[in-house]
Amino acid sequence: MRDRTPEGDVALRPVRTGTAPADRITGWIAVAVFLLAWELLCRALDVSSLYLPRPTQVAVALYDLFVHKQALSDLAVTLYRIFGGFAIGMVFGVALGLAMAVSRRLQSIADVFIAALYPLPKITLIPLLIIWLGTGGPFMLTISALGALFPVIINTLLGVRQCDPGLVMTARDLGASERQIVRHVLLPAAIPSVFAGARLGLGVSIILVVAAEMVVGKLGLGARLYLAGQVLETETVFAVLVVLAALGIAVTKALDAVDALTGKWRA
Amino acid sequence: MGGNLQTSSEGAVHPEIRLEGVSLVYEAGGSQVLALDDLHCRFAAGRVTAIIGPSGCGKSTMLQITRGFMPASRGTLSFVGPDGQPMPRPPRMATVWQSFNLFPWRTIEDNVAFGLEMAGMPAAQRRVRAHEALRMVDLGGFERKYPGQLSGGMRQRVGMARALVMDPEVLLLDEPFGALDAQTRLVLQEQLAAMVERTGKTVLLITHSIEEAVLLADTVYVLTARPGRVAAEVQIDLPKPRSIASTHDARYAGYFERIYGLLKSEVLRSMHGEAGGQA
Ligand SMILES: Nc1ncnc2c1ncn2[C@@H]1O[C@H](COP(=O)(O)OP(=O)(O)O)[C@@H](O)[C@H]1O
Ligand SMILES: [Mg+2]
Repeated sequence: MRDRTPEGDVALRPVRTGTAPADRITGWIAVAVFLLAWELLCRALDVSSLYLPRPTQVAVALYDLFVHKQALSDLAVTLYRIFGGFAIGMVFGVALGLAMAVSRRLQSIADVFIAALYPLPKITLIPLLIIWLGTGGPFMLTISALGALFPVIINTLLGVRQCDPGLVMTARDLGASERQIVRHVLLPAAIPSVFAGARLGLGVSIILVVAAEMVVGKLGLGARLYLAGQVLETETVFAVLVVLAALGIAVTKALDAVDALTGKWRA
Repeated sequence: MGGNLQTSSEGAVHPEIRLEGVSLVYEAGGSQVLALDDLHCRFAAGRVTAIIGPSGCGKSTMLQITRGFMPASRGTLSFVGPDGQPMPRPPRMATVWQSFNLFPWRTIEDNVAFGLEMAGMPAAQRRVRAHEALRMVDLGGFERKYPGQLSGGMRQRVGMARALVMDPEVLLLDEPFGALDAQTRLVLQEQLAAMVERTGKTVLLITHSIEEAVLLADTVYVLTARPGRVAAEVQIDLPKPRSIASTHDARYAGYFERIYGLLKSEVLRSMHGEAGGQA
């Protein structure tokens, strides 16, 4: 049954929340107009493709990169380094964050090191890590793990600290041991915060891996980017940037999906 | 309906609880706060004892000492069995909290089964027990919901089911209905009274409602403003089972006024204490 308004049988207009399809279409039209303007302006002003290649040239370069220049294997290597290191950073970060939240002594020790290391831009560790680990896989995984580690530790710690002490007391009342309290109360209570940390950490891992690849200049998207820049293949530089942007978008969407899954109780 | 919530299981002992000369000093940031001062109380076996007093007088502190979460600074806590001897083991206890304290990430059934899960009961078995407990508090059909999807009254019924499924010998209630609206509170009070009557558990009920204390308790301890001391012990001789109709009993008004008179002077005293600073 449809509600009747005083004016009679008028169609109900639902309140819109979130992004409606119409808004999304507007967004895509804007992108199309932008690309078209870019293309036409470059042609009209006869801009050298050395400085600013046209979107069509970038598209050709992108096709070339994947079909003729095996960029897929570079993408795979970069993804492996990002997610492999990120996973290591997550495991250590959550474990250390939990341990610090539970043990006062461990926390006072770790606090000092974190205070010293956290503000340091991790990118500055690249030369030192190359001296220690060389430029191969272990180096890449380490730098990626370091990127994720600190945001995850700090957010895990915060998440546990923000846990309602009433819930801990309730668990104890119901017979939970200290171990069980960590596993069944502190950890789940910290999940949303751990997740926020993982989001930040993954962002840092991506930056560090690409930067490290640019420095080492052998394999991976970062290396492609750097080498293309060296020989002034500006279309290829743009093509790699497009791939990196797409990677960023895919990661964000994937994280949103996992977030929605873990957050289903937040009704 | 299931057995263990109707009557306590075999081997259950409903002890008398004694607090003798219990004092408690909180130490926070270098300063000391005397929360309880030389408290003497007996919570009779299988009876309901209510504790009423101005807020901040140490009621929750007293409950935590009884639960064994905190040692008394001075004095003793003991559990006396039916033979008049101290119990060889501490009794099973479970608490219902004013703020419900449900685990928001667990479904209702997993909240109720929490204690059984910690004790290592297999999943299928504890689910049966949890469902049975939920039906007792009229929440059958809500097993898979999350606490965030329930009203306050429903959440506290989950809180009660979660405590009762543990089949405690001593049930501790810390202002269990304080956060609920008046109608919900009345219904839950009646249900609690009936449940307590059936199971014969030793019950300690902390409340700030005189009505609740008189309706549910056999004995009411009125505490003084901080530091908490026993201002008076009032025996409630109203026939059971009690319901909202009991408020029409001639004796009800007498108990209410007696407790109100005691409380009023304590509340005024605590207000003056705050207004007058450290005078
Ligand atoms: N952990 C604590 N540290 C210091 N003081 C506390 C602590 N818990 C309670 N208190 C103080 O002890 C007094 C009694 O608290 P509580 O037992 O919670 O009172 P009630 O439950 O009667 O309202 C209050 O004045 C409170 O401020
Ligand atoms: Mg209290």
